[in-house]
Amino acid sequence: MALIELQDVSKLYGFGDATTLALDEVSLTINKGEFVAVMGPSGCGKSTLMNVIGLLDKPSHGQYRLDGKLVSRLSANQSAKIRRDKIGFIFQFFNLLPKLTALENVALPLTYKGMSVTKRLKIASEMLDRVGVQSREYYLPGQLSGGQLQCVAIARALVNNPQIIIADEPTGNLDSGSSRLVMELLAEIHKMGNTIIFVTHNPELTRFATRVVYMHDGGIIHDEASTIGRVATTARKVLYTIPATREEDDLAGVSLLMKALPSKSSVAKQPVIKVKKPRTIKSKAKAK
Amino acid sequence: MLGFGLGSNIKAGISTLKTSKGRSFGIMLGIIIGVTSVITILAIGDGIKTQISGQIHKYGKDIIIVKPSQLNLGSTSGAPLSSLNILSPLTYRDINTVNHVNGVSASAPVTLVPGTPKGDYGAYHQGFVIGTSASFPSLINQSLAYGDFFSDSNNNNGDEVAVLGQTAAEAMFKENVPLGASFTFHGQTFVVDGIFNTFDSTPLSQQANFNDAIFIPNSIAESFTNNTAPTYEIFARSTDPNQAAITAKNVASALDVAHGGSSNITVNTGTQDLASNNSIVNLTTGLVAGVAGISLLVAGIGIMNVMLVSVSERVREIGIRKAVGATNRQIRNQFIAEATFLSLSGALIGIILSFLIELGIRLVTSLTPIITWQSVIIVTGISLLVGIVFGTVPAIKASTKDPIEALRAE
Repeated sequence: MALIELQDVSKLYGFGDATTLALDEVSLTINKGEFVAVMGPSGCGKSTLMNVIGLLDKPSHGQYRLDGKLVSRLSANQSAKIRRDKIGFIFQFFNLLPKLTALENVALPLTYKGMSVTKRLKIASEMLDRVGVQSREYYLPGQLSGGQLQCVAIARALVNNPQIIIADEPTGNLDSGSSRLVMELLAEIHKMGNTIIFVTHNPELTRFATRVVYMHDGGIIHDEASTIGRVATTARKVLYTIPATREEDDLAGVSLLMKALPSKSSVAKQPVIKVKKPRTIKSKAKAK
Repeated sequence: MLGFGLGSNIKAGISTLKTSKGRSFGIMLGIIIGVTSVITILAIGDGIKTQISGQIHKYGKDIIIVKPSQLNLGSTSGAPLSSLNILSPLTYRDINTVNHVNGVSASAPVTLVPGTPKGDYGAYHQGFVIGTSASFPSLINQSLAYGDFFSDSNNNNGDEVAVLGQTAAEAMFKENVPLGASFTFHGQTFVVDGIFNTFDSTPLSQQANFNDAIFIPNSIAESFTNNTAPTYEIFARSTDPNQAAITAKNVASALDVAHGGSSNITVNTGTQDLASNNSIVNLTTGLVAGVAGISLLVAGIGIMNVMLVSVSERVREIGIRKAVGATNRQIRNQFIAEATFLSLSGALIGIILSFLIELGIRLVTSLTPIITWQSVIIVTGISLLVGIVFGTVPAIKASTKDPIEALRAE
């Protein structure tokens, strides 16, 4: 069953000459239980896609159905309630409130549900136990390591028992050990039936996904099924051609990726890429 | 109105209080000052009213007080009271006039006699000599500690006897019971016949402190000054206490006639005097408290400014809260609750502070300020209102932030 259904969704930022096309008529359907990795170079619209799916942002054009319900035109408050009940966010920079303890951070979504203090702290504590950082529940974020912080953030994302987990580069700020820990945690959550969408630059991590979506300049250029435990085929080609550690390498990797794409898909998507986006006007101006 | 648990809002307020102490104190300072000054001023006003009414109650509500409407002080500044040249429209003749009005059972003047008494230990500059009649103690319900007050016959015969206030007795003779001791005044030797019990002091009232006074028969007082001694006031009592107001009116018209139709003399019963005193005190304290109340308003603007800064510094927090499902209303309520919590904390500190100040005033001065629960409740209510009203603008600003932009903020 289609949980997320995007149909020709576009997102524009700014006005006039400064208009930026962040999403260009993206159509994407994600079913319940999928573990989707989204890959692409910086500025390709991955984060915007995550924000639109997560109801933090509204599409400028197109339709978005969540759980069969049209949500692209909901009010800010209705979106907030859906975020609260159905969606859990995990961010690259954790986004924990620095003045609250780990426990209070995890309990935050429950606060907005109107749950009593004792009940929500109990649930939050159980959730911290699940992600393995219960011993740190009274620590402030400043006293925790990056891996622990992301575990706390995952606990917060899970505490409302959401259908969808959206993770925007959850390992982008972590060392490889913590990255694996976090990804294994996400894999475990996926096994329990949650739908997970995550953004990554690291092709290695596609081995956790059941599906990999490649983006470029606001559009989806390739979409392939992947097997858990194996790096996705397209990503693998890139991975073993060039070690992707720095951003330039990432970008180089993406251009390799373009070449690595199956010819059929690349031909089909070519017109989309050819359309020059206003975004490039800006970057060109910068280059000059 | 609060969309979710009030407790968590308060908790958020407390955590803000804990983590940005300087700013929280800034928010509260205005409220603290405003609350403290309003409560203290009202307390002092109530204290004065209570003391004045206590004095009037002691005199009795049926006492008739004859006073000049205006006292002209024709003296060089800084001179002790005894040498004050008070020009009063009341004269020795008015004492007789009052005495002969229908319904007046007793009367006593308070005549200030210029000059300095000389006791065993030299001149007594702080004291002042009052000429009065035998009815004085009974009119103002003041008892004597030792000895007797002089009698009508003393007054008529012009006997050189005196009755002293407590302070005067100690200052002049360095003993508590100087009965039979003597002092000189205007070249005459006076014998101390009695000592008054301590008079209740009434700071900030128009009444002189009788503890410093030396009371002598009025006839002698007048003979010293050739009947020119200024009469400060005349106490009188009506035969029928219920007719006090009518008697007072009669006294007033009799004095008007004696002064040729118009006089600068006010005749009040105890009740009327209390009312006019209270209205003056109420007006004064009301005005000052009103000015202090404006400082609460200014404090509100301070709250608004500090909260606006706070909101722009906490944009990211707002973004995070929105991302995890906070609605605009919940964000707005959180900030209003914080502002309200801070202003209420300020009010609480202000209340505690004003109780301390009240204690200080009690200890240091003879004034007894009275903090009423009404003033505390009203001031707390105003602080609450100020917090809500001035917290609303920053709160709305916070709640309408775009979550994406807010999350991107540093």
